[in-house]
Amino acid sequence: MKFSYTWLRELVPGLKMDVTTLAQQITMKTAECEGVHDPGAFPGASVAAVAHAENSDPDSIIEIDNKSLTNRPDLWGHLGMAREVAAIAGLSVADPVGDLYPFTPKAGANGAPLPRATSKGDLSITIGDASLCARFSGQRVENVKVAPSPLWMQYRLNSLGVNPINNLVDVTNYVLCELGQPMHAYDADLLGDTIVVRAARKGEPILALNGEKYSLGPEDIVIADAEKPVGIAGIIGGNDTAIRATTRRIVLEAASFPAANVRKSSSRLKLRTDASMRFEKGQDPENTVRALARAVELLKQISPGSQAAQPIDVYARKSAPPKIQLDIDWAERKLGRKLSTEEVINIFRSLVFGVEQLNGRKLLLTVPSWRATKDISIPEDLVEEIGRMVGYASIVPQAPAVLAAPTARNLEHEQHRAVRDALTGQGFTEVSNYSFISDADAAMFGYAPEKLLQVANPIIAEQKYMRPTLLPGIRRNLADNSRFFSDFRLFEIGREYCKGKDGAPVERTHLAAAIYGRETNGANLLEMKRVAQYLALDCKVVPAKAHGKTMHPERSAHVEIAGQQVGNLYELHPSLLDRGRAAILQLDLDALQALPAQRQAYRPLRRFPSSSFDLSIVAGSHELVGNLETRLRQLAGEGLIGLQFLLIFPLPPDKKSVSFRLTLGADDRTMTADEVTHTRERVVEGIKSAGYELRE
Amino acid sequence: MATLQVDPIPRALYSLGLLIRELEIPLTNPIQTIKDLTQSALGNINAAASLADLEKVRVAVLGRKGELAGISKTFGAMAPEDRAKAGQLLNEAKATLEKSFEDRKASLEGSESDQRFKAEWIDLTVPPQGIAPGHIHPVTQVQDEIEQLFISMGFRVLDGPEVETDYYNFDALNIPSDHPARDMQDTFWMTDGHLLRTHTSPVQVRALQKYGAPMRMIAPGRVFRNEEVDASHEHTFYQVEGMMVDRDVSVSHLIYFMQTLLSSVFGRKVTVRLRPGYFPFVEPGFELDIQCLICGGNGCAVCKQSGWVELLPCGLVHPNVIANCGLDPQEWNGFAFGLGLTRLAMMRYAIDDIRLLQSGDLRFLNQF
Repeated sequence: MKFSYTWLRELVPGLKMDVTTLAQQITMKTAECEGVHDPGAFPGASVAAVAHAENSDPDSIIEIDNKSLTNRPDLWGHLGMAREVAAIAGLSVADPVGDLYPFTPKAGANGAPLPRATSKGDLSITIGDASLCARFSGQRVENVKVAPSPLWMQYRLNSLGVNPINNLVDVTNYVLCELGQPMHAYDADLLGDTIVVRAARKGEPILALNGEKYSLGPEDIVIADAEKPVGIAGIIGGNDTAIRATTRRIVLEAASFPAANVRKSSSRLKLRTDASMRFEKGQDPENTVRALARAVELLKQISPGSQAAQPIDVYARKSAPPKIQLDIDWAERKLGRKLSTEEVINIFRSLVFGVEQLNGRKLLLTVPSWRATKDISIPEDLVEEIGRMVGYASIVPQAPAVLAAPTARNLEHEQHRAVRDALTGQGFTEVSNYSFISDADAAMFGYAPEKLLQVANPIIAEQKYMRPTLLPGIRRNLADNSRFFSDFRLFEIGREYCKGKDGAPVERTHLAAAIYGRETNGANLLEMKRVAQYLALDCKVVPAKAHGKTMHPERSAHVEIAGQQVGNLYELHPSLLDRGRAAILQLDLDALQALPAQRQAYRPLRRFPSSSFDLSIVAGSHELVGNLETRLRQLAGEGLIGLQFLLIFPLPPDKKSVSFRLTLGADDRTMTADEVTHTRERVVEGIKSAGYELRE
Repeated sequence: MATLQVDPIPRALYSLGLLIRELEIPLTNPIQTIKDLTQSALGNINAAASLADLEKVRVAVLGRKGELAGISKTFGAMAPEDRAKAGQLLNEAKATLEKSFEDRKASLEGSESDQRFKAEWIDLTVPPQGIAPGHIHPVTQVQDEIEQLFISMGFRVLDGPEVETDYYNFDALNIPSDHPARDMQDTFWMTDGHLLRTHTSPVQVRALQKYGAPMRMIAPGRVFRNEEVDASHEHTFYQVEGMMVDRDVSVSHLIYFMQTLLSSVFGRKVTVRLRPGYFPFVEPGFELDIQCLICGGNGCAVCKQSGWVELLPCGLVHPNVIANCGLDPQEWNGFAFGLGLTRLAMMRYAIDDIRLLQSGDLRFLNQF
């Protein structure tokens, strides 16, 4: 939103602040100023000519961030900002409508019968449903002549980013910029005498001023003549009744439409206009007749000879000005700053609130109509008015007095931190990937799209589903980085998303870690097993059938803790990488977190010597070392206090020798040589009778 | 010792001694022998090139059957006064030689271990073998730091779902469906009506509903905005939401916490200022600026000559939000703020392209 410094000075007589100081003051007390700059080039007139027309120095434009005006519809016009500036500077506003107002509109306020045409040829305005339009004010102006606006008006509009069109249209835009009230001018001959505000009919078409055709529906509000829409309420006028070169009579419209409806229509029709941006923030209905008066006054200047009829005003829904009680002691506690009663009263007077002192430190404040939109409705809103006007810099920072108690820990975050620290210690670098996957990703990793959480409004195809696994991102990281590194390790801790049993979204935090090697073939898998056991000491890696298209069919296992699967350890299916191989570890960190803590009691140190012997078992080359270990434990029985894997020695074509060291001992005595020999013989016999040979 | 031998000296030998002296028979003089032996032994000790050689010298001279021991055997033939004199001399010689021997031994030992150590020389400029440590993502590092900081000030760290309901993301935060603030945040919607949270603020509501008041909490996490990606815009980024709800929480408390925490984050005293800002879930609402850390407030390119850098939105929690959490706004109030973790990480490391953070590119990530 652009503001003209010259215009603001006109509206606040006596304002001495230079434009930079003014912009800073506005930033600190009202809304964020994004910068001050010269008005843009004005085609067709020199700066000197403009300065002459303006009768002042060249202007400066203060640019205010629209977002910071979201709750201040009153600031979408210069007069609103001038009120703020006057309050900040301790001055008064020169209201451009002041002399023209009050006047007596022809129809009464709320409760009076809705006016019809009172005499032949008069304008007839009907609001069918007060919830669609709080107030509609119209005024016919006869004997106008379409011409270019005077230079000063063109210049002002141009510096505010509004294209000058012709004097009639420019007047409505000028009033918009000045009072913030959107207006529209119809060709009265094309419009006729009847105006009806109503909901659009299903499929009702309109050709708008911008040349686009829109198909409307009952959720849109229209301004219609006796038959068809002549404008989309609060958004844009119709083309059929627009001002043209031949226009001699016009009807001016200034109305108030409900914010929510305008917003919905505007976003559904994808049509944002200067009018809709203001209406969707809520407009002050008190402003409609003021705008008419101001426009008529301007028309007298720039279209000499124009004659305005009496305004017709239908005030379908008038609200009483809101009154809010303020306890100054309470406001003090909110701000954490002392406030004198006088100081507070002065602030609200400067902001044109009605101030009534109830008893001592309690005030009853009447909110001015332009702040009663949605802006100010509760006492907390008043605290903001006091705070910004006294200046937040006047508040001294102070530590609160709070109960001292231990802070509850976030065990998940502690777990994530521990996993991250462990993995980085083992050479893994943390990556962060998007939560989205594409159709291609879903297909590559074997997920049926209907089982995935789907994004309804993605911008690009890569954002179509929520990732059910971290793997697509990890695979992409592997492929990307393999261009630059031959060996690397990386991991991600992130959420995986799926549909729960009831269809509701479920999020679980997972770990995916990868060891990539351009030349290695399988060697990294056992290294990854070491990493898994480093992360979760008591985890078991249990060979399991590979599933999906993601795992090497002969190189995959479950990671289990206490018999429960908590993850997978496998080689990424070689077809998923153009070159190199990758060992993958996936852990469900939430599942790990949920496992009961394994706390073992201390075992006394062994007091009696132990004795060891080695065995080399010849087995088939696909025999699992884990199975041999299990068998040895069973055979050796209670006396076995240590079983150490030593090595594998291949015996081509289809056998291997696996060597173990068995350590025997007892808690309460030294085992005798006989006992050791006896155990050894039992183990050897057992192994042999199970069909294995022993290698000497 | 030989000189203190108390055995009676055989008369015959005694007589012989007298005879030899009297006749001035040029028999070997033990005193001279001791002197000669000492001289030659000292030479041999110093000449010994190894510990083994030295030991040979020691055995030959100082050993139980060595030369000094041999000389002492001849003392019997001497007159008692001579014998005493010779004995004393012998003791002195023995002490001299033993000291010399120990000195030489230490010197030889020193040079031998020196040589052994020299042979064990290792070049410590050789790069080590094994796995070099990995790196933690810069945003995670900043998040961890912020978490520790808030924990130290008595805040608990809470999480919430990323796939949220519009109730928690909007309605409960005083942003009804027709509210223009919904336009400020372009939202990813799910086909089932859920949405991806556009801020971490929903965790405020969840926290108060679950744990009640008083409450001091932060909620760091991933948030989403449906917008095109370029060097300064991302659809995925990280925020931390913070909230304190208690009795009579004031703007002065908010400024205190922000100033203290941000000073710790930036590692030096930070000056903050509040100015009006509009966010539906706070009233009053603020934009918090910090005095530019580059120019100290004098104005530079980073702060666009203003001396201040906009850092975070904050405010006093709107009474509607307190009520939506099931608490009485007459009894409880508080402050809330939202800090951009991604932005903070980019500020700290001067990262000029936000896309790098989600790129998974190790050339980038290995720098942290």
